[in-house]
Amino acid sequence: MSQQSSDPTIYDGLMFVSLGAVIVGIVFLIMSLDGYGWSAG
Amino acid sequence: MNNIVSKILIVANLVFSLCFMCFAGAVFTFQAGWRDKANKTQSQLTSANDQVQQLQGDKELLTTKHAKELGDETTRANKAEAKVNNLDQNLKQAIGNLANAEKERDKHLADLQVAQQEAQARITETNDGRAEIKRLRDQNNEAIAVRRGLEDKNLEMVGELADAATREMKLLKEIKRLNELLRLNKIDPRDPVIGPVPKDVEPVDGFVVESRKNASRSTELVQISVGSDDGVYKNMKMTVYRDSKFLATIQITEVYPDIAVGLVVEETRNGTIERRDNVTTKF
Repeated sequence: MSQQSSDPTIYDGLMFVSLGAVIVGIVFLIMSLDGYGWSAG
Repeated sequence: MNNIVSKILIVANLVFSLCFMCFAGAVFTFQAGWRDKANKTQSQLTSANDQVQQLQGDKELLTTKHAKELGDETTRANKAEAKVNNLDQNLKQAIGNLANAEKERDKHLADLQVAQQEAQARITETNDGRAEIKRLRDQNNEAIAVRRGLEDKNLEMVGELADAATREMKLLKEIKRLNELLRLNKIDPRDPVIGPVPKDVEPVDGFVVESRKNASRSTELVQISVGSDDGVYKNMKMTVYRDSKFLATIQITEVYPDIAVGLVVEETRNGTIERRDNVTTKF
């Protein structure tokens, strides 16, 4: 049985920041598509 | 090992996530300008398409018009070409006619030169003929003058012949009368004449033209108005008188056809001989 640490590391924070960046990017794209009325062409 | 890979993947995930966020943020930030630009470009494209369509219509109209004009111009060009061909043919014909006319002209010029030379020769001949005519006319005039002279002479001779005939008739009558007179006096007219016969004096009457003394003033010379044509001859004696007065007797010393000169051989005291005194052979 190995002992597992439960403390978040820097990499967890980086993963969180990455997720936040992705969400912000998706929001920007949705807003942009909304400006075109959801029309890609 | 798995730990390192997962860390690397986490970092890469972070990097890509940040890039995605930046890209999306940039798109959100600049998409309005891009849209305006796209709209503007779209409207420009639409207007350009409209213009293109309009220009296409104009082009078709112009093409139709130009095709029609081209057809007309082609027809005109064909007509003009046919006309030019006709004109070329006419020009060739005219050039041929001109060449013929020049040949004809040269021929006529040669004929003209020959005619001029002939005319010059005729003029020379005419001048010679005129000179000949003038010479013959002069000869004719001279011959006419000679003929008139001869005619005058002939008339004169005819008159003389008539006078001679009259005189012959008178003489024949006189001979007949004398023969009859001789027979009446019992003389044969055929007997020969023996001895000198005094000269028969015909009655001649005239007048004194001039009288003058000679150098010695002893003898008077008288010029009278009758001569040999009137029957006066040399040594003939004539009587000078004035109003039935006997003035002198003269003897003719010089005789001319119409005058005579006499020498006074017998003079009376009835007066001196003057001009206009009468002279006669029988006083």
